[in-house]
Amino acid sequence: MAESPLPSSPAPDWGSHLAQTLAPQRWLGPVAMLGPSGLWLFLLLVIPTLLILEISLVPGLRLGQPAGGYGLGNYLQILEPVYLRVMGRSLAFALGSTLLCLGLGFPVAYWLALMSPKPWRNLLVVAFILPLWTSSLLRAYAWTTILRPSGVLNTLFGVLGLPSQTWLNTPTAVLIGLAYSFLPYMVLILYASLEKLDTRLLEAAADLGANPQQRFWKITVPQTLPGIAAGCLLVFIAALGDFVVPTLLGGASSMNISRLIYNQFLGPTRAWGFGSALSMVLILAVSLAIALLLKYGDRSTVTETSQ
Amino acid sequence: MANCRQNLTRPPVTGSGDPNTLHIYTWANYSDDGLIAAFTERTGIRVVVDIFDSNEIMQTKMRAGGGAAYSILYPSDYVVSEMVGDGLLSAIDHSRLVGLENLKKQWQNPTYDPGNAHSVPFNWGTTGLLYNRDVTPGSPEDWIFLWDNQDALSRRITLLDDMRETLGVALKVLGYSYNTTDPAQIEAAYGKLRELQPHIAAFKTTGFENEILAGDLSISMAYSSDAIALTLEDERLDYVIPASGTSLWTDTLAIPTSAPNVDAAYQWINFLLEPEVAKAAVERLLFATANQAAFDLLPDEIRNNDQLYPPDEVLDRSEGIQSIDTASNDLFDRFWTEITSA
Amino acid sequence: MAQTVYSTTPAPATEGSVDVELRGVVKHFDDEPAVQGLDLRIYQGEFFSILGPSGCGKTTTLRLIAGFETPTEGEVLIQGVNMGRIPAHRRPVNTVFQSYALFDHMTVRDNIAFGLKIKRLPANQVRERVLDALRLVRMEGFADRMPNQLSGGQKQRVALARALVNRPAVMLLDEPLGALDLKLRKQMQVELSTLHRQLGITFILVTHDQEEALSLSDRIAVMNAGRIDQIGTPSDIYDRPTTPFVADFIGDTNLLHGHLEGSDGTVLRVVTPSGLKVLVQQHPEIPPEPHPVVVSVRPEKIRLSADFPTADNCYHGQISHVMYLGTHIHCGVRLSSGETLTVLLANRGQALPDLDTPMYAYWAAEDVRLLSAELPLPVSAGNP
Repeated sequence: MAESPLPSSPAPDWGSHLAQTLAPQRWLGPVAMLGPSGLWLFLLLVIPTLLILEISLVPGLRLGQPAGGYGLGNYLQILEPVYLRVMGRSLAFALGSTLLCLGLGFPVAYWLALMSPKPWRNLLVVAFILPLWTSSLLRAYAWTTILRPSGVLNTLFGVLGLPSQTWLNTPTAVLIGLAYSFLPYMVLILYASLEKLDTRLLEAAADLGANPQQRFWKITVPQTLPGIAAGCLLVFIAALGDFVVPTLLGGASSMNISRLIYNQFLGPTRAWGFGSALSMVLILAVSLAIALLLKYGDRSTVTETSQ
Repeated sequence: MANCRQNLTRPPVTGSGDPNTLHIYTWANYSDDGLIAAFTERTGIRVVVDIFDSNEIMQTKMRAGGGAAYSILYPSDYVVSEMVGDGLLSAIDHSRLVGLENLKKQWQNPTYDPGNAHSVPFNWGTTGLLYNRDVTPGSPEDWIFLWDNQDALSRRITLLDDMRETLGVALKVLGYSYNTTDPAQIEAAYGKLRELQPHIAAFKTTGFENEILAGDLSISMAYSSDAIALTLEDERLDYVIPASGTSLWTDTLAIPTSAPNVDAAYQWINFLLEPEVAKAAVERLLFATANQAAFDLLPDEIRNNDQLYPPDEVLDRSEGIQSIDTASNDLFDRFWTEITSA
Repeated sequence: MAQTVYSTTPAPATEGSVDVELRGVVKHFDDEPAVQGLDLRIYQGEFFSILGPSGCGKTTTLRLIAGFETPTEGEVLIQGVNMGRIPAHRRPVNTVFQSYALFDHMTVRDNIAFGLKIKRLPANQVRERVLDALRLVRMEGFADRMPNQLSGGQKQRVALARALVNRPAVMLLDEPLGALDLKLRKQMQVELSTLHRQLGITFILVTHDQEEALSLSDRIAVMNAGRIDQIGTPSDIYDRPTTPFVADFIGDTNLLHGHLEGSDGTVLRVVTPSGLKVLVQQHPEIPPEPHPVVVSVRPEKIRLSADFPTADNCYHGQISHVMYLGTHIHCGVRLSSGETLTVLLANRGQALPDLDTPMYAYWAAEDVRLLSAELPLPVSAGNP
């Protein structure tokens, strides 16, 4: 505690000086502990967000042009059908890939946590996270070679005598790409949740007459609900803001919110005001998701401490 | 907080740097080790190259003050106008240049920068159609080929992910100018492009290369610099400049107002204006030089390459994309969003 | 080997239909034997305890009956039906777990109703039976609480109600009171006993607490290292242990290892390596020929006297320690031959003996149990 709570403090003995004069007071401890992270949050999160908020409140604000007065014009612009359609598509991509990740991830996580041979378990988990260590751009690009008309998947279809399919440049490709990108997160979170599952509860349920399906739906799912919620929200948040996959795999009709924002900031219109308003909507959606995440997170800690 | 809006319009302050180092911010493939080594040998100035892949990224970086190290930029034509308007580019002191008169006549007084007051043309090119002969019915000669063969080409077409270029194609097909600001014409172009939209696989500026080589794509709208490089890689690929004309683009050399090493910048520009230097660079990097003296030194097979140096009648029907007013830009953007989210 | 057990256990009082039967059950975990050859019959309505130290295989035995484990060899029968292919959820038993295993995402009411809802009972029946069960364990006011709002004892009652409400043929209780403090444990023991009487169904209790087993059970199986050492009523187990392990595990005892030398008509003569001679009452089951034996003398059977007493077994020694326990006085007597005996004297207001006081320790030949020294002992089926 004698150390300076502010790493960038100008006077080297400022911290110890403060500690001497204020040490008896109760708030010093928390302030010193929270100070650096609070400052960090303030500088790198609060201020930039407020800047975006301010820019978003100037209708028609553009890079390199004099700014007008404040107003809600940028937000009203979002309500136009074309932009609502973009938002709707982003939501659909995010929801779809979340469900896909859950459907694919749960069996895998279940197997890893409860059925895989114990000595191999850590290795298997690492194997599942391994794809995360490569660039997301590369992973998305790899899917183009799999999904394109003469790609791996259609070659396989040809060998099996199935008709060639159009995969690349469709919403399906975006869903596949997003699900693949975020599946490891889902598996990891579900694995952590399922690993903590008290298998004695499953025995108790069996003892009370529940068959395996009933045990799954009445015990396993409710018991791992915080993990399921956390995994879903994380994938949802990541998929909602993803830029790379829709761009590479989505084809001609794949405009989503992050690309739209990109176009406002780095495209020829340079409509920073509108772009900021779109960003604020995205920030709000993600914050909402995080708030839900924290709520479920709290519930899980409550149940944990009670055991 | 109230300052932030002013910051958006205030040019960044001039920096100062090491006189023996020149930082340049350029496109990929516009310089190579040979060029840089020759310059360093000549002048003793070390060159550090950073690459950008879109004008807007370069522009935003300069605007935000992140480009204070650079003394040379390579903005494209209409971007020069914008950056001059934003006060980001220094006026070029022509008395410090040698060989400016060597420029082709079309670039002696370009519309985007009258009198080359703030930029020196370096390289130019066209936008056209790159196609794979094996999977394309016939050989395209003009933009309308896409509309006429849309069923046969369905979902085997990519267009540039660039609203002015791509909506511009539709404008051209309708007989309008790339630089129209008439809302009715812009809307008509949107309608024309909307017809083709269901048959377009994707809007891509890069990343179509493997697909067109594999025959998964038939035709990709591409910049000549990218397309010609691919045609040399695979003889099944060909590049055509549409007969009715296309967009002509020019990449220039410019000195930012924040340049820390103006002297070295002038030395770099002068170096590239030298016919022998420019000729050697073109032979290696195969771009279209705007330098007539260098062009004259080139071997015939390069000079007579119609793809690299289209005939004058095509050039006459083409136009450069110019900076347009905000309202028209917004209209383009809205229709572009409509097209890309249809 | 069966003849090395001096089978003095009378047939158990309970006679009737067999509820649970284990036949030659063996269970290995990764080649580690947990249970080695159990034969056991538990009768309808019995309160049966499986008693033993931790790791003896008692919980595994219970889990084999519940169906959470499959026997490596042998078979489990419940009400005459071989359970070999019947999974846990289709067995007519219900378990109260040591950890309670309450579903913390459900209210108390939903926990108790769980089994009934699985059986798709009509809602009004479910409601009534849950209320009955809550009443039975005196938890009527807690139906809408969540498990994490309950104390340990309350959780235990809910766990009991959750099992009982299904009216199982057999209740399995896995150390159900292990996590409770002493006073609550005593109280719950009384309640368990009352419930058992009220319901009349078979209870199988696994415990390491000998007092709990002795006070609650009709019969007790004492397990040691995966085997049953002895099955019998509480008084069989305590008063007539058949192995040194049982004698030592149930209550306190003084074990003297020695050699049976011969018979003196009505008594047998045992000599310890230190030369101590112990007389033991002759018994028809004990073969009189010489063999190694263990003598067990309960501390409360030993008396002390300053004067030389008249007794079958009488030894001189000195008081080595004295502990005042309220109802009893706990003494150690170091014999001249070297052994130290533990002696428990009833507190009748007498003066405490001083340390190092010379004393005679003595007991009657009929107060001594003679046990075979050959261990481990196989079980000679504890059934009638």
